[in-house]
Amino acid sequence: MDDEQKQRYLEKYKQAKQQGVKFFPDIIYKDLLVSFALFIILVMLATFVGVANEPKADPSDSSYIPRPEWYFLFLFEMLKFFPGQIEWVGTIVVPTVAILALFLLPFLDRKPARYPGKRWRAIGVMGVVVLAMIALTIRAVITTPPQVEAETVATTLSESILIGQDLYSINCVECHGPDGEGGIIEGVEGLEGYDMKSISAQDEMYTRTDDTLFNVINYGQPDLGMQPFGIAYGGELSIGEIETIVDFMRYTWDDRAELPQEVTQASAMPTLGEDQVPSYDVHIEPLVKRYCISCHRPGKKNNNYLMQSYEEVMNTGDHAPNVIPGDLASNLIRMLHREEIDAGGPMPPTKALKPEIIAIFERWVLGGAPQTPEEAAAAGTVVTGTLTAPQTTAIPTP
Amino acid sequence: MANKAFAWLDERLGLTTIYNVVLDRKVPKVNWWFTLGSASAILFLLQGVTGMFLAVYYVPSPQSAYDSIQFIMNGVAFGWLIRGIHHWGASLMVIVVFLHMLRTFYYGAYKYPREFTWLTGVVLLLCTLGMGFTGYLLPWNQRAYWATTVGTELPGTVPLIGPFITNVLRGGAELSAVTLTRFFAVHIWFLPAVIGALIGVHIYMVVKLGISSVPDRED
Ligand code: HEC
Ligand code: HEC
Ligand code: HEM
Repeated sequence: MDDEQKQRYLEKYKQAKQQGVKFFPDIIYKDLLVSFALFIILVMLATFVGVANEPKADPSDSSYIPRPEWYFLFLFEMLKFFPGQIEWVGTIVVPTVAILALFLLPFLDRKPARYPGKRWRAIGVMGVVVLAMIALTIRAVITTPPQVEAETVATTLSESILIGQDLYSINCVECHGPDGEGGIIEGVEGLEGYDMKSISAQDEMYTRTDDTLFNVINYGQPDLGMQPFGIAYGGELSIGEIETIVDFMRYTWDDRAELPQEVTQASAMPTLGEDQVPSYDVHIEPLVKRYCISCHRPGKKNNNYLMQSYEEVMNTGDHAPNVIPGDLASNLIRMLHREEIDAGGPMPPTKALKPEIIAIFERWVLGGAPQTPEEAAAAGTVVTGTLTAPQTTAIPTP
Repeated sequence: MANKAFAWLDERLGLTTIYNVVLDRKVPKVNWWFTLGSASAILFLLQGVTGMFLAVYYVPSPQSAYDSIQFIMNGVAFGWLIRGIHHWGASLMVIVVFLHMLRTFYYGAYKYPREFTWLTGVVLLLCTLGMGFTGYLLPWNQRAYWATTVGTELPGTVPLIGPFITNVLRGGAELSAVTLTRFFAVHIWFLPAVIGALIGVHIYMVVKLGISSVPDRED
């Protein structure tokens, strides 16, 4: 603004004042009314909503999901857009620029125009910023998982071990193998060819306490390529679930701990008669869960072959169908026999399944890949009739 | 008698002058959005008063902080009300101060001759947020502890000086008793002093320059 514009403004302002009102009582009255209303709102909030009771600070409970005061949420949410190396852009550069812009506003915007309609650019920028702050806050609220209490997932030790076994199969097998044995990793993005040490060996089990195992799973080993699994660190497992995995590892791998009888029974392979056709529901699903699902679920590298249900096993995959009832040249069987085909390399990539297990898959495919035990029973007679020798002997072992 | 006492005081304090200059002045006709500034000031006073009462019982140490808050909530008459008002007042003050900033922005009130009012306002906004950040830790509960842990971690990502800043904020590598007393001192002494002084300057500017008028098409 030059001097003339300043003069004009002051002149006009003087007129506005003359046509205006008295500060006392007109303005004061409005001010007090609003302040009083706010005070009443506060008393109501204090009385009827109150202050939520929180447990005392526990520096050792790192599973607690940090929740900043709501008006800082947008800042934390914004940081998610600046991951890893460039995080400092979010923590320092953006806030500094914003604060500087706020300070310098009167010097950046020196035009005399005050009417909002003539300042659409400034108003637009501020509008976008405020909307972004609101959007980020909302996003933060909906994406923050609810606080997990250390809930108990299982009531008995056996139950815990069994749940832990399933969780281990889903989350860990792709890297550590079904028995924690490790080996050269194949088919896992980012860790291709990594020589994974065994995590179930005696010296591992003897030197790792339950707490250590818990923490490894909770925080992961980000430097080595194992992502955190705890909800508090961006994973999907609750505290209770991680505890079941620890139980599973301890009781199945540590030779000092005795696996409860119930567990041995419950996790034993369902019995299968000499020439009986296995069904998906009873025999195949547990195998798939234990050996395949860790990689063959959404979000993993697997040629889009998902194995979470019968339908998926039969129909999905870039080279679908991977299971052709009655045909031992199905992709799945050939890959189990560690053949290198169009659909990919040997399955599971790291280590061959035991011949007995492959045999079960083969009998299932030969028997028409039935889903339910009833269908399998119906198919059973057909297969036995067409084969001269019991299938187990007809199967070439790898 | 009352008249005499008033005259005696007026002669010494200049009450009539204050009345004429501050209260009995003409101001442009404005709308309800112009009440947000005084509402911010009232909320600050309210936070000050309730905060003083809380400080009577609050003990800033990791062993006792949590229990002292429990005592305020359950053992002190109307302690829950005082804490409730202080708790919700903090959020409300942030909202009101922010809206007040938006209103002065929207009407271009930061322009000549009120640039300096705006500058003090920005500092007030930052200090208000600082009050929220430092106050959040004081109850020493899980929420407080972990929010402050991540909050003080953030500056640590700044290249070179980051770890140093985190260290200064925490008074050590980890959140500890030192962090708590540090936040307490900033929350009840440093920031209120700055805010109080700046509100003084801010309102002095408003009285001196007069509240801006609602801009019309010609402005
Ligand atoms: C993406 C691959 C990956 C997944 C999935 C994974 N890990 Fe790991 N894990 C690793 C790597 C890499 C290491 C480091 C091994 C080394 O030190 O050579 C490791 C190490 C470990 C260790 C040994 C830590 C130590 O003290 O040396 C344990 C125990 C472990 N993981 C358990 C698990 C469990 C339980 C799961 C499932 C919840 C899991 N991991 C899932 C990659 C993975
Ligand atoms: C370590 C991860 C991993 C495990 C465990 C695993 N797979 Fe795979 N699977 C893959 C990857 C990766 C591909 C994609 C092809 C390739 O890269 O070889 C794949 C592809 C396949 C395909 C071809 C899909 C198509 O349509 O192209 C079949 C069939 C298959 N797997 C079957 C199995 C079976 C059966 C098991 C369990 C016994 C299993 N896989 C276990 C990683 C795995
Ligand atoms: C503790 C915080 C604050 C208090 C107590 C406060 C108080 C006040 C009061 C009482 C007024 C009189 C006019 C009105 O009520 O609208 C005012 C005006 C003003 N405030 Fe604030 N304010 C605060 C924060 C801010 C902030 C964050 C800004 C902007 C960054 C700001 C900028 C201004 C400006 C530019 C005016 C002049 C408005 C005009 O003349 O129209 N203030 N403030």
